[in-house]
Amino acid sequence: MKTRNSSSPATSSRPIRVPGGRRGDRNHTPKADRKGLYQRAIRESFVKLNPRVAVRNPVMFVVWLGTIVTLLVTINPNLFGTVQADVGQQRLLNGIITFILFFTVLFANFAEAVAEGRGKAQADALRSTRSDTIAHKLLPDGKIQEVNSTELRRGDQVKVVAGDMIPADGDVIQGIGSVDESAITGESAPVLKQPGTDIASSVTGGTRLLSDELIVRITSDPGQGFIDRMISLVEGAERSKTPNEIALTVLLAVLTQVFLIVVATTPSISGYIAGFLDSVVGAATGNSLRAGTSIAILISLLVALIPTTIGGLLSAIGIAGMDRVAQFNVIATSGRAVEACGDVNTLVLDKTGTITLGNRLADEFIPVNGHSVQEVANIV
Amino acid sequence: MLQGWIQIVLTLLIVVAITPFFGRYMARVFLGQHTILDPVAIPLERSIYGLSGVRSQENMTGWQYARAVLYSNLAMLVFIYLIFMFQGILPFNPTGLSAPSWDLALHTAISFVTNTNQQHYSGETTFSYFSQFAALGFMMFTSAATGIAVAIAFIRGLTGRPLGNFYVDLVQSITRILLPISIVGAIVLIAAGMPETLAGPAIVPTLEDPGISQAIARGPVAHYEIIKELGENGGGFFGINSAHPFENPNGFTNLIELVAILSIPTSLIITYGMFANNLKQAWLVFSIPFAILVVFIIITAIGEYQGNPAVNALLGGQAPNLEGKEVRFGWAQSALFAVFTTASMCGAVNSLHDSFMPNGGFVTLSNMFLQIVFGGQGTGTAYLFAYLILAVFVTGLMVGRTPEFLGRKIEKREVVLASFLILLVHPIAILIPTALTLAIPGVSGISNPGFHGLSQVVYEYASAAANNGSGFEGLGDATLWWNLSTSFSLLAGRYIPIVALLLLADSMSRKQPVPATAGTLRTDTGLFTGVTAGVILILGALTFFPALALGPVAEAFQIINGIG
Repeated sequence: MKTRNSSSPATSSRPIRVPGGRRGDRNHTPKADRKGLYQRAIRESFVKLNPRVAVRNPVMFVVWLGTIVTLLVTINPNLFGTVQADVGQQRLLNGIITFILFFTVLFANFAEAVAEGRGKAQADALRSTRSDTIAHKLLPDGKIQEVNSTELRRGDQVKVVAGDMIPADGDVIQGIGSVDESAITGESAPVLKQPGTDIASSVTGGTRLLSDELIVRITSDPGQGFIDRMISLVEGAERSKTPNEIALTVLLAVLTQVFLIVVATTPSISGYIAGFLDSVVGAATGNSLRAGTSIAILISLLVALIPTTIGGLLSAIGIAGMDRVAQFNVIATSGRAVEACGDVNTLVLDKTGTITLGNRLADEFIPVNGHSVQEVANIV
Repeated sequence: MLQGWIQIVLTLLIVVAITPFFGRYMARVFLGQHTILDPVAIPLERSIYGLSGVRSQENMTGWQYARAVLYSNLAMLVFIYLIFMFQGILPFNPTGLSAPSWDLALHTAISFVTNTNQQHYSGETTFSYFSQFAALGFMMFTSAATGIAVAIAFIRGLTGRPLGNFYVDLVQSITRILLPISIVGAIVLIAAGMPETLAGPAIVPTLEDPGISQAIARGPVAHYEIIKELGENGGGFFGINSAHPFENPNGFTNLIELVAILSIPTSLIITYGMFANNLKQAWLVFSIPFAILVVFIIITAIGEYQGNPAVNALLGGQAPNLEGKEVRFGWAQSALFAVFTTASMCGAVNSLHDSFMPNGGFVTLSNMFLQIVFGGQGTGTAYLFAYLILAVFVTGLMVGRTPEFLGRKIEKREVVLASFLILLVHPIAILIPTALTLAIPGVSGISNPGFHGLSQVVYEYASAAANNGSGFEGLGDATLWWNLSTSFSLLAGRYIPIVALLLLADSMSRKQPVPATAGTLRTDTGLFTGVTAGVILILGALTFFPALALGPVAEAFQIINGIG
């Protein structure tokens, strides 16, 4: 007979604290706030038009340069040599091409901004949970005041009782208690904390006191604690390109150069053919094919040939990967880390569970020798 | 018609049948295993190493290997250039030929050093016997051996071995592969009716009028001929190359030449299989160029068999296109030769490619654009595996793992080298000079303006850049512009890829191999082979599609519609 311990808490003599709750409910981080995400992304997609930012993506930078050139020939169609076609018509065509190219660049920026925005929203959500902890601040007159952990300052003293979260980094100045530091060190056995010793007296914010009571003197101001530094590390991690992304960018850049050569040599080749056709066909009909290849047409040919789609969405793909793992409560410090996970063949853990929950978790009790599940649960 | 197809199928069967044996033999040679030629070759090689001071046990790094290739090739280039310029005072010059112009000599020297043998001259009226066998014949062995050496170094690198020693590979390629086969082959060709003499041209009275005498060019042809095909050289002793009755007297010699053209590039893939200990993968890789080759042969042969619609209309019936062909070979063997020679970068011709139907123009150009339909001596095989690396990279990203090939991770450096050498060099060396030639008035020398003229120009540069050397002909190409601009394509198309290949092999061989697991992308499956073929066609062909569309494809429509 199998019974999930979490499904029958009422029958046990003392409540069993299950760290993660039921599998389906183990979603510690609240859903990221998606409000204003798209407005911000639209603003960002214009900011990213800055050439210094745009040049990081060579393929889209070529498209962006093309847009500027087509804009110039929209303003003055005869900028690069006269065109024989009707100037008004030519201007309309160039204008349409400019619009489409500009939209392409903007959309690539937008996709990247949305992906980035989702990652940021996730970090914000993470920060909001952290500040929820309530601390019992010990006032000089011996009274206890309930304050938010973010309001604690260096030198404040707080009282922590069994089951409480330690609100911030500090030193134990009174009492002995065992602290579950698994969230930070991965060590699932509780650590005994007492005043007077260097290592055993310091406690870290975000860890949980399991037994007895401690008086802790806070040693860090808000925003400088261990967890804070971890969050800022996550946030501040420069979105560096992953090795595969760099290699792919190189391949795309080479392809872009190849097609640049193809397009640059086209006017000469087609001009030769047009000259030939003029001498054969044009002589008979009186029409000339040597209209001169329009620079806007060449640019649109180039954009069609170069790998614009993958070039435009490449950075969004990387960020989307980080965002995806964030939805499973995994914080990826960089796309590089996500990519490295793809190469994992074997996962070696020092003990069960530490990597997923930070603590051991009883999934199932299997009684032997005729004992009931209830008895086993009580012993544990 | 049936006879022609039987000739084609039998030739292909012979080529495929030879491949495994020859491939294994080359693997044994370069793996340092015992071969039947050891008793003769070892003392010969020892004395060569002793005389030249080569330390045969020393392995080279990628850069050292590349430097050895470049310096030795430069030395040979200077050597044969001097022979050309002083041929007037050198021996074996029965017709008293003086030095050619400096640019023609330079182009010829570069063209032979790069294993291209593009010829802007007619051999019998430009170069003395001494220039032919001491300069050109010498380069035919060494440039082919350079290609084999680079391929072997590349294969060693891919399979995680040290690259080896260039001088040792060069010498062994000649003493154990090229020279023995050439000696046997030359004797067979002499028996089949090819001349081999140092005597000057034969002066004979004509049948028409015994009073009038005619000079018939001849020379040491037979030994020159076999290495011309075996080494993918293709530079003819006579101006019209293998269409000349002394260079290719009959169907039997034609068959030998056809088989010799493809034997080394096909077999090197099996050699790779022996090195990698994965013959299954070798045969799968082999199937890619082989399938393309068969399709190309069918396209060309159908075009030649159906003939020119304009001519057929005059004849009142369908007849094969025999313009520019030797009747002793007919449409089938001419089409086969044209596809083989451009596929393998040999460049020998037994018919005029200029006179082929647009199908032939399309196929011969595509062969030289792709460069991997078995491809040049050694370099073709290396290109094929560079494409394989790119395919591994692309598919590896699709499955979300860092791509690995033979247990070695493909990273930025490999992608840079592979994409650069395959994708970028070729368009630079072909399209840019083509555009310049068409844009600068009065330099093109096109004899047949229009779509066909464009094909002539593109073909010349493609032939140079791919180190093929065959000519579309019909182009006035013995000018300063052509000699110098094709020299640029020749050098760029040969040495940039070779250096990149060696560096690629070097960086692959230095990587720590990762053991294969269930998650590793297997490269020896039919699916992956199909993906590779797709990558080759998309990356390789897309670049040149505008040139193909305005050249042979447009010409085909022109002929179908009866314009011009």
